[in-house]
Amino acid sequence: MIRRIAFNLFAWTIVLAVAFPLFWMVLTSLKPQFELFRRPPTFLPETWTVEHYWTLLSSTKFLTYFKNSVILSTTTTLVVVAIATIGAYSLVRFRYRGRESLAFLVLFTYLLPSVVLIIPLYLMLVQLGLSNSILSLVIAYTTFALPYALWLLRSFMAGIPEDLESAALVDGASRLGAFRDVILPQLLPGIISTALFTFILSWNEYLYALVLVNSDSARPLTTGVMNMLVSSFNIEWSLLMAASVMMSVPLIIVFAFLQSYLTRGFGAGGVKG
Amino acid sequence: MSTVRRTPLERQYALIGSLLIAPTVLIFCAVIVYPLVSAVYLSLFQVFTPTLEGSWVGLENYRTLLGKNEFWSSLWTNIVWTVGTLTLQIICGVGMALVLHQNIWFRSIARSLILFPYFVSTVVAVLVWKWVFNDLYGILNHLMIVAGLIDFPVDYLGSMPNAMISVILVGAWKYFPFVVIAVLARLQTIPDALYEAARIDGAGPIASFWDVTLPQLREVLVVIIMLRAIWDFKEFDLIYLLTGGGPVTSTQTLPLLVYKEAFKLNQMGMASAYAVVMMAIMLVFMVIYIRRTRSEDDT
Repeated sequence: MIRRIAFNLFAWTIVLAVAFPLFWMVLTSLKPQFELFRRPPTFLPETWTVEHYWTLLSSTKFLTYFKNSVILSTTTTLVVVAIATIGAYSLVRFRYRGRESLAFLVLFTYLLPSVVLIIPLYLMLVQLGLSNSILSLVIAYTTFALPYALWLLRSFMAGIPEDLESAALVDGASRLGAFRDVILPQLLPGIISTALFTFILSWNEYLYALVLVNSDSARPLTTGVMNMLVSSFNIEWSLLMAASVMMSVPLIIVFAFLQSYLTRGFGAGGVKG
Repeated sequence: MSTVRRTPLERQYALIGSLLIAPTVLIFCAVIVYPLVSAVYLSLFQVFTPTLEGSWVGLENYRTLLGKNEFWSSLWTNIVWTVGTLTLQIICGVGMALVLHQNIWFRSIARSLILFPYFVSTVVAVLVWKWVFNDLYGILNHLMIVAGLIDFPVDYLGSMPNAMISVILVGAWKYFPFVVIAVLARLQTIPDALYEAARIDGAGPIASFWDVTLPQLREVLVVIIMLRAIWDFKEFDLIYLLTGGGPVTSTQTLPLLVYKEAFKLNQMGMASAYAVVMMAIMLVFMVIYIRRTRSEDDT
């Protein structure tokens, strides 16, 4: 019994140590400005305040960036998941020439570094006159999100028994009818999980946003917050911590309600047990 | 396949299949294959970024690159970073997975807390760590002084080797949950009978870890190590945001070098050459990983 308690304390000490920076972020964002620069630092805020959140929302461009991020991530997710779902269905359940090489290409691009693609993509988008727009970022995000979503959905699709589809075909359903009535409902958990992963990836992306967008009207949160609050002379720590907390809100929601989908996605994403 | 006579139905199916994959193929060609080819093509030019005017230089960029100290030191930094952070990720990840595999209190909350750093934006992670590392007001210096480990505040990001150690540690913190989840999933499938047998043979917990757990984890660990090696090697955001490659160029890895060359020094051709060489290095790992995955698929 004592060993059990000791082990639990040990385990929780480590867990809390790992999570400490995240707690520290929340605590810092709730301290008034002057308390941040107290030495020694106070652990819990002496005075609790939400003024930094209020400042961000009322007198900065934070909400514009937030809106951009929402539009950007949602569009990317919808486009990518729709294309990847029918693509994965084709890759797993149909036979045609070049199918194997395509699967190979998907895996290859899934591992490709963005810095290789970013220079030609930048040139391409400038020539098309699309730079500095949310659309340019949607196009750029497709380069990593589509291979990723295809790869995840491919393994989810492979997990659906082929007999189900055959049975529907025998009953007289067309191939696409079977896809709609049999495959899609079975694939739904996989689609949700892929959509969550794609959304989080797009929400967190930094490099493409840094290179491709240089105007506040199209900047997503990642580069927007850095650009707004970090300059070489001054770093607005309390605002930064409040912004960090709010940037993580979608993530916290996913964690609270949909965590099982995230773990499922892990199992499918190339790491087969 | 083409030698086999096909029925009309099979031909129709092949047509539907190709139509369904068509959007994917089109997008792949437009945003991945075409840029990839033009990256290689660009690397044969000298391009000035603001005007985008270029002149053909052939393999000159590659010759310059191989003779440059900066390339070799960035490659070395890249290897140090990858090996350092990957080792920590694996050790901490396996250790944490073993702990979380036990029946501890509030296990699902503990798992969420461990998982969170992996999903949080790199921007957020870096900002929080920079605040923790802050030399004047940071909590880390305060705690270290209180614990008596150091006498004076330490500059974690502005001097070497501290900067490299900090980057490696933050990288390990951010990415070890990936290892935890993958290993945890595998741990749950190890049959209890194996542990039972080891116990009957007189093995203690440590012996059964080496003789039962680790051999069972071997397969999944190989896959994790290859995947994470590829991803860590190409990491940009974390290092760029944390140190910007500094102090001077001590934490500058190849992806940062590509970025600097293309968008700070405005030499797109040279930057493409760096990127192509970097991809060639990564190709070795990628090919090993892809071949492995495909042979698994076949069986």
